[in-house]
Amino acid sequence: MPQSKAGRVAFEPLLLGLRRIPELHGVARDGDSLRIGALVTMTELMESALVRAHCPILVEAADQFASDQVRNVATIGGNVCNASPAGDTLVPLLALDAEVELVAKPNGLLTGRRVPIGEFFKGPGKTLRARHEIVAALRVPIGVPGRFMRFFKLGSRPALDISAISIGVCARRDAGVLSEVRVAFGAVAPVPLRGRATEAALEGRQLTEAVIETAAAAARDEVHPIDDFRASAWYRREMVHNMLKKVLADAT
Amino acid sequence: MGKAETESLIGKRIPKMDAPDKASGKTRYIDDVNVPGQLIGRILRSSRVHARIKSIDTAAARALPGVHAVLTAADVPDQRAIGVSKDNLPFKGDVVRSLRDEIAAVAAETEEVAAAALKLIRVEYEDLPLLTDPLEALKPGATLIHPEREPVALKHPEALRPWYDPDNCQTGNIAMSFDYTQGDVARGEAESDAVVEDSFRLHYVTHCCMGVSGVIADFQSNGNLLLYSNTQVPFLHRREFAEVLGIDPGRIRIIQPPIGGGFGSKLDIYPFEPIAVFLARAARRPVKLIFTREEEFIASPTRQPVLIRLRSGVKKDGTLTFRSVTTLHDNGAYTSWGATTPFVMMQTFSSLYRVPHCDYHTVAVYTNNPYAGSFRGYGNLQATFAVEQHMDRLAEAIGMAPLALRLANAQNPGEVTPQGMHFKTCGLKECLSTVAERSGFEAKFRANRDNQRMPGTLKRGIGMASMLHVGGGAKIYPSDGCGTILKLDDFAHVTLITGASEIGQGSETVLSQLVCEELGLPMSSITVVNNDTDITPWDVGVHASRTTFIAGNSAIGAAKKAREKIFAAAAKKFDLPAEAFALRGGLLVRADTGETLIDLAKFLRSMHFSEKAELVMTSFYYEPPSHHQDKEFKGDVSAAYAWATQACEIELDTTSGMVKLLKVTGAHDVGRVLNRLGIEGQIEGGIVMGQGYALTEDLMVKDGRIRNPGFRDYKLVTAPEIPEMDISFIETMDGEGPQGAKGVGEAPAICMAAAVANAIANATGVRITELPFTPENVYRALAAARAQAGQRAA
Ligand SMILES: Cc1cc2nc3c(=O)[nH]c(=O)nc-3n(C[C@H](O)[C@H](O)[C@H](O)COP(=O)(O)OP(=O)(O)OC[C@H]3O[C@@H](n4cnc5c(N)ncnc54)[C@H](O)[C@@H]3O)c2cc1C
Repeated sequence: MPQSKAGRVAFEPLLLGLRRIPELHGVARDGDSLRIGALVTMTELMESALVRAHCPILVEAADQFASDQVRNVATIGGNVCNASPAGDTLVPLLALDAEVELVAKPNGLLTGRRVPIGEFFKGPGKTLRARHEIVAALRVPIGVPGRFMRFFKLGSRPALDISAISIGVCARRDAGVLSEVRVAFGAVAPVPLRGRATEAALEGRQLTEAVIETAAAAARDEVHPIDDFRASAWYRREMVHNMLKKVLADAT
Repeated sequence: MGKAETESLIGKRIPKMDAPDKASGKTRYIDDVNVPGQLIGRILRSSRVHARIKSIDTAAARALPGVHAVLTAADVPDQRAIGVSKDNLPFKGDVVRSLRDEIAAVAAETEEVAAAALKLIRVEYEDLPLLTDPLEALKPGATLIHPEREPVALKHPEALRPWYDPDNCQTGNIAMSFDYTQGDVARGEAESDAVVEDSFRLHYVTHCCMGVSGVIADFQSNGNLLLYSNTQVPFLHRREFAEVLGIDPGRIRIIQPPIGGGFGSKLDIYPFEPIAVFLARAARRPVKLIFTREEEFIASPTRQPVLIRLRSGVKKDGTLTFRSVTTLHDNGAYTSWGATTPFVMMQTFSSLYRVPHCDYHTVAVYTNNPYAGSFRGYGNLQATFAVEQHMDRLAEAIGMAPLALRLANAQNPGEVTPQGMHFKTCGLKECLSTVAERSGFEAKFRANRDNQRMPGTLKRGIGMASMLHVGGGAKIYPSDGCGTILKLDDFAHVTLITGASEIGQGSETVLSQLVCEELGLPMSSITVVNNDTDITPWDVGVHASRTTFIAGNSAIGAAKKAREKIFAAAAKKFDLPAEAFALRGGLLVRADTGETLIDLAKFLRSMHFSEKAELVMTSFYYEPPSHHQDKEFKGDVSAAYAWATQACEIELDTTSGMVKLLKVTGAHDVGRVLNRLGIEGQIEGGIVMGQGYALTEDLMVKDGRIRNPGFRDYKLVTAPEIPEMDISFIETMDGEGPQGAKGVGEAPAICMAAAVANAIANATGVRITELPFTPENVYRALAAARAQAGQRAA
């Protein structure tokens, strides 16, 4: 709505209210996954016992999202469909290797599909979602307990700020050795970005100072941010490096 | 009868009288005012920054059902230029010079129709060269932005010397210049043991009033014009409107609904106001024109952006020797009050500290950028940013502590400066020592400095800055006066009718307090009328921190007259001399014993029924006589001056450049505290405004376009960033001030950016001379300093 008022997206004369579809609400365990309904708000994410237990990184992201008023209405499905490279739940969802559950009813028949989140985003505001589809839920695999997860958001003020950069890290740690490492970055490319080179620099290693520096340098090299009025590309690269170092150093 | 309550209202914590309405949503701002039959006005602004208008086609807009008027320059041949230099025609007909430029306007039945009509107006442009950097606008051969204007004759072309050869540059784009000299700067420099020089760059910020700009123009059946307006200077506006519209000022009435913030932004008349009147005239219906938030960002004034070149010297013993200043102001496309800020900056350069030799040359240069208006502090934030950073640099140069250097050069009460400013009261030294003591300044300053080269990425810093600002009105208009009418009814209820506008600063509360204090009445027994030029007496307007001082004295004058009348009547009735009485707690009492003589309401009733009661008092207060400034700017600009020192403590993260403001310790010479709650609110609010200027706010103007016209990307300080504050009041009891008080409205915002800059230097050893201190700007400066140090080491 704010975007069509600002003239950025065309106003559609046909409006579909999703609020009263029960299947789009709530967080539930579904086998090895957590199913987070598309209409779950940031506030609900923060309050959900299941989310807190299995993906605290989403709680961290929701906690740093805008302000109370916005958290009370902003949904995770809206955040994902909005597909801003700076969207705060997108980075944790990438780090968690989530899937997007899409549904449609083209000829009166309900159909559905699941898309890995890493393939879902096509550009700023652009996704794989077809016009007639809606996002029903986000599915997050429940990993081994006790994994290391961290979301870090850098803005110029503590509240109500769009990320200049953000970082999500998720990994198993057995006797100090990292595995199944997934790193994601926000606001450093046209879509939220998986940091494959950074992951490779961490996978199978312990968080020594040298490893941290190598990973941070890899991160700086693999992001490809732009200059815009929130931050320059140079500053974003520097911050990806410095803040990833901080996140990893805090984990040791 | 017992003894009356004798407690004074002065210095008490008194809630603002308008607070309950504002807190409960009852206040009716201009947007809530609806006049029967009103139309909605909207303005079509230029989509180009600098262009010739080839054609404007309004036919389709005029044909749209629900549209009652569509106007362009061609439809208003009688329009006249407005603004400080009369260089701004409300409707631009031939050339647009900035993105906000008004090309056409519509009046329609509804907002939707008005918006649709705007979209139907076709404008053809032919682009002209863009000048968005004042240095480019001065280059030889640069396009003239106002070719129609007579060029300004520069008295001191050396104003341009830091940037250009004065004989070989485009002076035709100079909008205004100021020159000031005292003593002999060359001599001062020869006597110096250390000299420092820097360039400072100050950016655009804007007022961000919660209430956007707006006006309702409503012609009465007798042809008189009624305006509902957010102005903070209703009487001056009445005159200006009369000139613009070519009508008798007496036929214009201005009603001010409660104003949602002014901060100086409503000191000038802007094109939207005459445009609303033209629309009302053309449509023969009242027209309401309210800005959108985006429009407020694009088309309301900014704080003046400035480049400052400052050179200062000091002797080994800490005596300041000279200060030589040139400033270059980006005037934007038209001239509003921003261009005149050197008038205030000058006082800080010449007289914040004792400087024997000082010169100051300025030019304001036309560009195609937004134009600056007046904004709380009026140039003083910019001047103080430069001067106070130099105080720290000079101290460092001679190995002196920053506090000691400031104390050694601080003004004293009674001093008349070389500029001719007479400081009848001056608490600067007390402000300095109070802040130093309460913040633990010296120990922290040394510890932070020692910590600069230690490992660790979180650095602490502390920095201080002081300020001098007018505190007893400002002599910028032939009169700095304010009138009061005071009406006492037969129930001892007082109506205070004052010329002074309430713009949220709490003036109606303070003025009521001063009147009730004189009449021994509780705050519940007063009503204020202050928003209708047909009723209220003349006042020059809300600006220059003058209202409490000027309007306060005026109100006290009327209250004293009332008291005299009461005592004269009492003398007859009780057969005692007039001096024997006092008014306390709503009672007439004996001054010596406090014994109650009669209930004041009852006594007033008896007076009402006697002849010649005349319980309506009038008074008018002009600023006290003093040596008015001459053409060389020598002399006084105010009856009293306000002083303050603030110390800022920060934590700086060197890995991100993020500066967290932890604590502000302030001491303000306010003359005397009248309403403690009100003055705390003013100071806290001002500190936060100064914090935004220093750290977060940045109106980004690129190629003449504002890139962040909304609160998402124009970053005001939010609640979690507000620092701890420790505020002390220094009460110097000004002889001329109402109950000893001086003005304080602008003061608290002035020191912040300078103090934060000094704190950053204390934390890191890196001095940043450009605002704002956003994380990226700070990080970039630290990286540049590291690179330079590396180069030096290699
Ligand atoms: C003041 C403010 C601050 C903000 N701060 C942040 C912040 O800190 N971090 C951040 O990431 N974002 C921020 N945002 C952006 C915004 O709040 C989020 O993107 C939010 O999650 C959107 O959720 P919504 O439910 O309101 O979606 P909407 O705005 O209602 O929808 C967004 C788009 O997605 C479509 N859509 C929504 N749900 C579905 C669905 N289930 N299926 C298909 N299409 C759908 C809508 O049609 C629309 O096109 C902020 C916005 C504002 C106004």
